Amino acid sequence: MLEAKPEMPMKAPLTCLIVDDSAFMRFHLRRMMDSFDNVIASEAANGNEAIREYGRLRPDIVLMDIVMPGLEGVETVKRICTEDPKARVIMISSVSYQEKVAEAMSAGAKWFIPKPVTTEELRRAIQSVLSDN
Amino acid sequence: MRLDFVKIFVDSTAVLFRELVGPAVDVPSISMKPSPVAGREVMAIIGLAGEAQGRVIFDMDLFTAVQLAGHMLGEPSPGMTPLVRSSIAELASMAIGSAISKINDGGTRLRMSPPTVITGANLVSYDQCFETLVAPIATAYGEVRVNITIQDLD
Repeated sequence: MLEAKPEMPMKAPLTCLIVDDSAFMRFHLRRMMDSFDNVIASEAANGNEAIREYGRLRPDIVLMDIVMPGLEGVETVKRICTEDPKARVIMISSVSYQEKVAEAMSAGAKWFIPKPVTTEELRRAIQSVLSDN
Repeated sequence: MRLDFVKIFVDSTAVLFRELVGPAVDVPSISMKPSPVAGREVMAIIGLAGEAQGRVIFDMDLFTAVQLAGHMLGEPSPGMTPLVRSSIAELASMAIGSAISKINDGGTRLRMSPPTVITGANLVSYDQCFETLVAPIATAYGEVRVNITIQDLD
């Protein structure tokens, strides 16, 4: 008689929503996230899509651009964080002047990385944001 | 023409290109023209608005665009695919975004539009009435011309 193997404790995957109107940035960030261990990444190409996907997926982390056509990043973060104050959003933008960074943080973002982002910067930001909660 | 801003745009673009495309990036000369000099096969256009207004046009040959994008993507591209277009748009966006950030931190409110990429033969820009500063940026994959028009609001 075969004995059932004891179940190995599985670490839950980190879920991530990548929000950027640029297909290049979504490709680039997804590749970075894929290089980390045990990550499931989803994508949204604009603010409205991001809000819809956030509600559906409730990801652990959101990577959010600022300059997007239609609903831009800061307003999108505000709406996501109103809906879920525990949302962990990392802004990744080429527009990184002090006032815009402050606006993003007061909208609810937990971290800001200026573009171009490196894998190491992204890893550090994710670790920091996850350890804060 | 806000030459102080123009310098920030050119410097930020050169720094960004060096970071993303490699160290062999040079800006050999900068010249003032009565209108944009942009007629190559690929153009990335970004509008500027706020306390000043204007436009930045990056133009380059198709070969250069495909090679630059291939470098950014870390893999060669077969031609002008949607991902190549997006890479060129993002390259322009990051360069101008960096400049915009410095200008805003200096006290002038300026914002940028998302980039538009246009491709085709014999492209012509019809901003004929605006003085334009043209900075050719030499890269390992060919030249990218940066056409900058920026003026204070009257």
